[in-house]
Amino acid sequence: MTESLKVRVDRRSGLAVVYTDGYINNQGGEEIAQAANALMEEGYRALLLNLAGSKIVNSIGISILIEVLERMLELNGRLAFCCLTPTIQKTFHIMGLTQYAQVYPDEAAAIDGLGSPAATQGP
Amino acid sequence: MTSPALLSLTAERQARLLELLQQQGGEALFLREALEICRLALEVDDLAAYARTAKGFECAARLGETEFPALLEAGAIPWPTRTLNGGVLVGGAAFAGELPDPLPLLVALGLQLFQLRQELKQHDFAAKLRGVEREALYDVGLAIASTLELAHVSEEILLRAVSLLDARRGALYLLDGERYRLRSTIGGTARETLDPGIVPEQADLLPGATHLLAVPVEVEDEPRGVLVVGDKESRSGVRAFPEEDRRSLALFANQAALALEQARLHEEALEKQRLEREMELAAEIQQGILPRALPQIPGYDLFGWTRPARHVGGDYWDVVPLPEDRFALVVADVTGKGVSAALLVSTIHAALRLLLARGESAAGLLQALNSHLIEFSAANKFATLLLVELSPESGRLAYVNAGHNPALLLRRDGTVEQMRAASVPLGLLPSPPYRAVETALGPGELLCMYSDGVTEATSPAGEELGLQRFEDLLRREQSADLSDLRAVIDHELRAWSNGMPQGDDQTVVLLRRQH
Repeated sequence: MTESLKVRVDRRSGLAVVYTDGYINNQGGEEIAQAANALMEEGYRALLLNLAGSKIVNSIGISILIEVLERMLELNGRLAFCCLTPTIQKTFHIMGLTQYAQVYPDEAAAIDGLGSPAATQGP
Repeated sequence: MTSPALLSLTAERQARLLELLQQQGGEALFLREALEICRLALEVDDLAAYARTAKGFECAARLGETEFPALLEAGAIPWPTRTLNGGVLVGGAAFAGELPDPLPLLVALGLQLFQLRQELKQHDFAAKLRGVEREALYDVGLAIASTLELAHVSEEILLRAVSLLDARRGALYLLDGERYRLRSTIGGTARETLDPGIVPEQADLLPGATHLLAVPVEVEDEPRGVLVVGDKESRSGVRAFPEEDRRSLALFANQAALALEQARLHEEALEKQRLEREMELAAEIQQGILPRALPQIPGYDLFGWTRPARHVGGDYWDVVPLPEDRFALVVADVTGKGVSAALLVSTIHAALRLLLARGESAAGLLQALNSHLIEFSAANKFATLLLVELSPESGRLAYVNAGHNPALLLRRDGTVEQMRAASVPLGLLPSPPYRAVETALGPGELLCMYSDGVTEATSPAGEELGLQRFEDLLRREQSADLSDLRAVIDHELRAWSNGMPQGDDQTVVLLRRQH
């Protein structure tokens, strides 16, 4: 049977981390978007998507991530990714996501990067 | 009287609209500004502009508290609307759908700019996706070249195929004996096996999937596997794969075939490497056993050598001093090649040395050696062996030939006598009779013991050198110095083979009684 992506959210001071586990496709992308939109509604303006548990993304998933990114930019917030597989990182680079979202090798570096005063706009 | 619409379109707002028109990515803000003007003119709180795009009616801008959705389905809009060129204007309860001039033109302009922007984004997105596809094929090629792990490459190929075809699921099957067996799966469970006679797209390979697309993985037109993807995704659900996706999937199947072929070649290379190592070891064993220096036999010239084949055979020769100034000359050839043959040679060498030192007669020695081989060697291992005992003073030769090529005795009168086998090879039967035969080597006469690698040297036409040609050669060169005779024999064998690989070890032992 079909497996769906699982999302876990960790709300921290000034930023929230969204952990994914599974395929970032239409269903998976919507799961991420729902979580991210809810966090934006709560007032989070710094989001980190930790994709350590995702080895694969398709174009539908990417388009949804772009929409999440656009929404965050409209709110003058920041969105970053960390723990990408080389394949996903290359895909994000080609698709232009990395022009507007920072990519970090690990979570600690991402939290350092997003934790700068300009980015820490929590609820 | 000036209309409220024109009143709300102040000079400041007109300047702002013009500024947004020139600003890259300013379409959404332009529409928002246009909605703001509409809201002032209509005196309503909630308004949203929906542009008609490939996705349906897509919310381009919204104002107020009403939670207008991101997408609307045409014909199912629960709010008052005003259809415009490029989309619709939707309002809350206070909106009656009326829109005074020139506001319809303004909102329509915003909607069309939004549409244009979305189309450009889609084109850009599609162009970038093609880049991702090119990179994916390139990366899979690199992965195949850089790793020899079939499991890793299989998963990489499946990941890329599923991802690039926007498939929800996928699986890779590889031929394992008579059936295809599941090697990798993504996005859900898959059936474990597939019978070759069944059309993959008609088999329920990905339970729960509605649409399947499958292509064969072939190496030189031979089926080796099946690559299958299921359910092409779109924002609104899943659909069948268009025909052009079959070509893309076939490209990945080709890559999988390359990976399979590469893995097979790697296995072969490893096997070859293992064999080469075994051959080197066998050669070391064999070289360690063969005599480094020959004993001096008063009144005789002695010369012996082995020219090993590339795949070391099991030739063995030795000259061992015996009690009472006698000497034993041995040439043997064991079955098989490589380490197992070398170990059998080693066993024969050790046993021979031991038994000769104990003063065993030639026949008794071969009996004992045969019993040892029957007891301790593998069933299919046996050896031919010729043992010649020389009493130098008298020239007496006592020999036992256990299945070996006949040694040649070249008499002074030019005749050649053959010391033929009277017994079966060692290790073949439990207790065969081994009987010594006696003859003598007169002054100026030559004894030549050799292995079958000499007489079976093969020409490019597939013809063996044969015993007669070898006899003729020896007869021709009977009086030559033994080291010269070796050079002539080597030259003759090389000339006969004429570049053909040497199939077996070639051993020759020459003994001439001086005048």
